[in-house]
Amino acid sequence: MEDNEAPSLISRLLAFALVLLLLSALFFFSFSQLQYGWNWSAVWQYRQKFLHGWMTTLLISVAALGLSLLISVFFALARRSRLLPLRYLAMLYIEGVRGTPLLVQILVFFYVVADAFGINNRYVVGILTLAFFAGAYLSEIIRAGIESIGESQIESARAIGLSPLQTYRFVILPQVVRRILPPLAGQFASLVKDSSLLSIIAVSEFTLNAQEVNAFTFSSLESYLPLAVGYLLLTLPISLFSRHLEQKFRYAT
Amino acid sequence: MNRVTCTRPFFKKILKCLWPLLLVAGFAVSSFAAEQQGPLKVGMELAYPPFEMTDTTGKPAGVSVDLAKAMGISLGREIKIENMSFDGLIPALKTGKIDIILSSMTATAERAQSIDFSEPYLQTGLCLLVRKDSAVQTIADLDRAGMTIAVKKGTTGHNYASKELKKTKVLVLDKEAAALLEVVQGKADAFIYDQMSTYSNWKRNQETTRAILKPFQQEAWAIGLRKDNIALKEEINRFLKDYRAKGGFEQLGDTWLLEQKQEFKRLGYPFFL
Repeated sequence: MEDNEAPSLISRLLAFALVLLLLSALFFFSFSQLQYGWNWSAVWQYRQKFLHGWMTTLLISVAALGLSLLISVFFALARRSRLLPLRYLAMLYIEGVRGTPLLVQILVFFYVVADAFGINNRYVVGILTLAFFAGAYLSEIIRAGIESIGESQIESARAIGLSPLQTYRFVILPQVVRRILPPLAGQFASLVKDSSLLSIIAVSEFTLNAQEVNAFTFSSLESYLPLAVGYLLLTLPISLFSRHLEQKFRYAT
Repeated sequence: MNRVTCTRPFFKKILKCLWPLLLVAGFAVSSFAAEQQGPLKVGMELAYPPFEMTDTTGKPAGVSVDLAKAMGISLGREIKIENMSFDGLIPALKTGKIDIILSSMTATAERAQSIDFSEPYLQTGLCLLVRKDSAVQTIADLDRAGMTIAVKKGTTGHNYASKELKKTKVLVLDKEAAALLEVVQGKADAFIYDQMSTYSNWKRNQETTRAILKPFQQEAWAIGLRKDNIALKEEINRFLKDYRAKGGFEQLGDTWLLEQKQEFKRLGYPFFL
């Protein structure tokens, strides 16, 4: 979509400020109604724990994100492969992973599969599980992107003598990237938040640390509100970066 | 995105929508039955057999449930058991969602800062479950770099490990079963938990684990109350005293923990009920 008359900077700022004001008013009102003995000092003592957990979540997310991208590209292509075993493998993987709870996957992978193969590092297993989990969703997003490119374009590419590899590189890829960026960013943000489930195998990530602080201080809101802010700090850059990439790939449409 | 893995927020959302309705209903009920106190809401986590658990039909059962029922009869109030996660019990009590906590909760100094406790009704201690081939004999053997300890989140074992064992790596787990698995699979050197559970966990995994039942920290379980609820506290303390005098606790022990009772007698540890 191309805006012919983009709204001026002033009106954009005003509109943004208005929305922000309304939302803050809503939350301010809600919190002012709350009968709750705030005890921030108890939670403040544990700031090191929050920081440590946040860093762990950041590292796990980055690693899982990169890995999931590789996995998903492979399975998206495998799903379209002419080799039947490869295609069925991709199908089973995607349906199996998308159809079962992440909680169960984490438990089974860590205590059963990884244990059988002698992998005892819970962080490695956690990152792998998370990457494979997100990879299933991502690969379907990528496949949908690829298949949204009209058959005529691929035929034209063949007609001008492009090899399949060249077709992917010069015709499909640039368009796909632009189209799948918004759902991709959403899925990545989801991955960051899903990493909290790794706490069940004692991966000392952000949510587990907040829960521990809650258990020590009995201050739920004071422990969980920083959690929301912390996750926002991780997911917002993903959205902004994807927005930036969308601008960059605009030429393709 | 909420997936199957996380259904709680969904219920919270529904609850939030129903909130105004509940408020109206609450006013109606409270004005209608101002004299009746309504049911006594007892908070517990039904995940700690044989104290708090559910029977095969899903109904709450166990030592604490029987104790709560006896208390209800003694106080002349209906008992309503609210099942919630252990670390959510104190916030629920403080915000009035429940009236008392009866969930094998140790009366610690930290907890006593935010809630009140009845007289203790049970004495127990923290002890260790280690792998069968482990060289660990006492808690001091674990306070070394390179050692790994499993604990259940929010328990006194968790608290002890994070405060006293500075050199040890602490694995914090949500579920007792997971903490047990860590030891069985040799990922953790020990699981710090109370004597009763440690005994049952060892009993079920005798080929792989060894229980060191001698407690290294004594603790007492008590019923949690809001700080301003002095009348209820007195009533409950009176009930506990009566119940003990009448042999109620002996009976509970015979009903639910007969095997453990005999085993502890054999080992020469005092039995706690």
